[in-house]
Amino acid sequence: MTPVIEIDGLVKRFGAFTAVDGLDLRVEPGSVHGFLGPNGAGKSTTIRVLLGLYRPTAGQVTVLGLDPARHAAEVTRQISYVPGDVALWPNLTGQEVLDALGGLRGRRDEEAERRLATDFALDTRRRVRTYSKGNRQKVVLVAAFAAPTDLLILDEPTSGLDPLMEQLFQRCVREASAAGRTVLLSSHLLAEVEDVCDTVTIIKDGRLVESGHLTDMRHLAASTVTARVSGVVVDRLPVPAVVEAGLLRMSVPRDLVPTVLGILAEADAQDITCMPARLEDLFLRHYAVAAR
Amino acid sequence: MTRLLLRRYRVMLGSWVLLMIALCRATFPAYENTYATEEQRREAVKLAQHNPATTLMYGLLPDPGTAEQMYHWEIGAFATILAAVMGVLVAVSLTRATEDDGALELLRGSGLAPKQPLRSAFAVLTGCAVLLAAGCSPDRFGAVIGLTFLVTAALTTLLAQIAPTAGQARLFGFTVVGVSFAMRAYADTQDAAWLNWCSPLGLRAVASGWPELLPLSVATVLAAAAAIRLSERREFGAGLIRRHDTHHSRVRARTTVALSFRLARTSLLTWTVAVAAIGTMFAAMGSGTIELQRNGEVGGFLGSQTGGADPAAGYLSFCGTIVAIIVCAFAILSASESRRAERRGLTDMVLTAGVRRWSPLAAQAAVTVAGSALILTATGALSAVIAPAVLNGDDIATRAFVYMIGQWPATAALTGCTVLLAGALPRLTALAWLPLLTGAVLTLLGDILKIPQGVQDLSPFQHVPDIAAATTPATALLVMTALGVALSLTGLLGLQRRDLQPG
Repeated sequence: MTPVIEIDGLVKRFGAFTAVDGLDLRVEPGSVHGFLGPNGAGKSTTIRVLLGLYRPTAGQVTVLGLDPARHAAEVTRQISYVPGDVALWPNLTGQEVLDALGGLRGRRDEEAERRLATDFALDTRRRVRTYSKGNRQKVVLVAAFAAPTDLLILDEPTSGLDPLMEQLFQRCVREASAAGRTVLLSSHLLAEVEDVCDTVTIIKDGRLVESGHLTDMRHLAASTVTARVSGVVVDRLPVPAVVEAGLLRMSVPRDLVPTVLGILAEADAQDITCMPARLEDLFLRHYAVAAR
Repeated sequence: MTRLLLRRYRVMLGSWVLLMIALCRATFPAYENTYATEEQRREAVKLAQHNPATTLMYGLLPDPGTAEQMYHWEIGAFATILAAVMGVLVAVSLTRATEDDGALELLRGSGLAPKQPLRSAFAVLTGCAVLLAAGCSPDRFGAVIGLTFLVTAALTTLLAQIAPTAGQARLFGFTVVGVSFAMRAYADTQDAAWLNWCSPLGLRAVASGWPELLPLSVATVLAAAAAIRLSERREFGAGLIRRHDTHHSRVRARTTVALSFRLARTSLLTWTVAVAAIGTMFAAMGSGTIELQRNGEVGGFLGSQTGGADPAAGYLSFCGTIVAIIVCAFAILSASESRRAERRGLTDMVLTAGVRRWSPLAAQAAVTVAGSALILTATGALSAVIAPAVLNGDDIATRAFVYMIGQWPATAALTGCTVLLAGALPRLTALAWLPLLTGAVLTLLGDILKIPQGVQDLSPFQHVPDIAAATTPATALLVMTALGVALSLTGLLGLQRRDLQPG
């Protein structure tokens, strides 16, 4: 199957500053793809290239089979976009914003808009000026999920939502995916994408760090084992360990876990715990960045 | 808090005060030497005293009509209206606007006493009034301007406690100014002089001595005290009137032009009404000038503007120029709206709904030129109805209409400049004001500054031919229209080739 989004060696420079430096990204049809990275990693810049708002300095970009730099209107007509920082016309009501966005696109599903507005507890009769950040975000989320589009590009879309609405948001993402739509979900929080994404791409400083299926990535991460031991076992362990107040703590690669647990059992260790691989650890490892 | 307000609004306060002082100081010498002989001045005074239009606009000109009296009568009218408008805008900015934009919330959350914001605002307003009074003219005339400002500001602040939003508070404030003007106009034209005592804008007419300033000073203090009392009875961020936040209106726009028009609707209507009213009033006020011009007595600034074959045509052409300068300001503001939308990220929302890159800017340009045409047509039509009743001359109605509508190509050319900058050089969009400024200086001050005619002709505002004389062809108008189209297209092309620049 042809990928919905295909980026090869994307470079985007603003003067001397390189925001994206040789990025590759593939998003398969119908998948929910997490696009992760710390603040300022180049996620939004990449997304703006995908939407045809920025022209790439170098590299190949294809979205829905077209080059967004040359066919921005054709591409974006098939895309629902939710920016992280939502700006709307302050004098219009929520309903009028939905009308305007739907009218410009030329295609809309008013029934779905009404249903989603009710689900998100959004009063669309109020003017945007009176909305909180979260409510402004809801207007755009309603427009995005309700629009009859093939691809959703969501750039940190839940930054203003409360936990309940975040759950609803995740349900909407799953429903969109079940309906065959493709979702690119950008975030700097792993927990946000962990529950809904099949595949993730992690970038840092405009460069690719990791990319692949979440299940594969979990395998790469190490488990954390702790135990209370009386005898001296540290020397016999295949991995380095630290002892704090009689508590032994170590990070164990997945294939060595049985060996380590065997050694601990032999040494009559108490209170043995083994925490499964946490993606968070893998993620945080990549997050130490210099200010850019 | 007082210092914070001063710091935050220093540009706004400073510009208003300087504008007012400049208006009063710069125009005074002109009145000293407008009329060469005493004879001529008495003639002009007699005309002015019996002209209903000027009485409506400026009030009654007292005898014997010395240069100083004429200055107080004419410039005083402008200065007090401007002071009142300044009072409304400044008062709302210092009080309700800081509340609505969230700045005050932060301060109140940091331990600021609830009464402090209003007290500080009144301290700043009083300071402004003193500066105005001393700066404009350190005598009773200055005091009248300062007090007019302060009483309007205090009344507006009082109404701002009742109004549901800052915008509504401004509207209430402007209503006060409008009612004050109507009361003053009624008082002066209908022999009801007592009414001037009740109007902030009538203060100028009644203030024949210092004690006459007392009633409005007391009113100011009472309004301020009432505002502070009322502020304790309302919720933070809300007025005593509940605001209606729910609306059932819908938007039927399916194109960017329709959407731009829908977004510009209210402001376009306001501009149309305001410019038509001001333009028509201006045109109707010209009878005195035209008569003087017939006798060859108008010199100086006005003479340079209205000189020419036919005095009526000259004056109406001058009115057209003034209106054109105002409409060009509208056009520049309107066309650069697309740059503001781009900065705020609104253009992103429109473009990602599947709209072509050039479309939002082109739509804004279309709405701007159509809006300019609407304003000019409305102003021209209203002038054509009103002017013949007050002005003597041939073809007044036709000339009034054509001199207004004929300025449309100038607005199109300046719209083109703005679109070019907003499209191709977005960070320099503010430079779009430069051609307007240059054009206005060349046209209004060209003769006085002895700028060669060839250079003066570069201004976009002096190319409307006299329709009744039908001598000069309208080539310049065609050139300006073509220029507007070409610049706009270049701007759209530039936009196609660049990144969007938010923030």
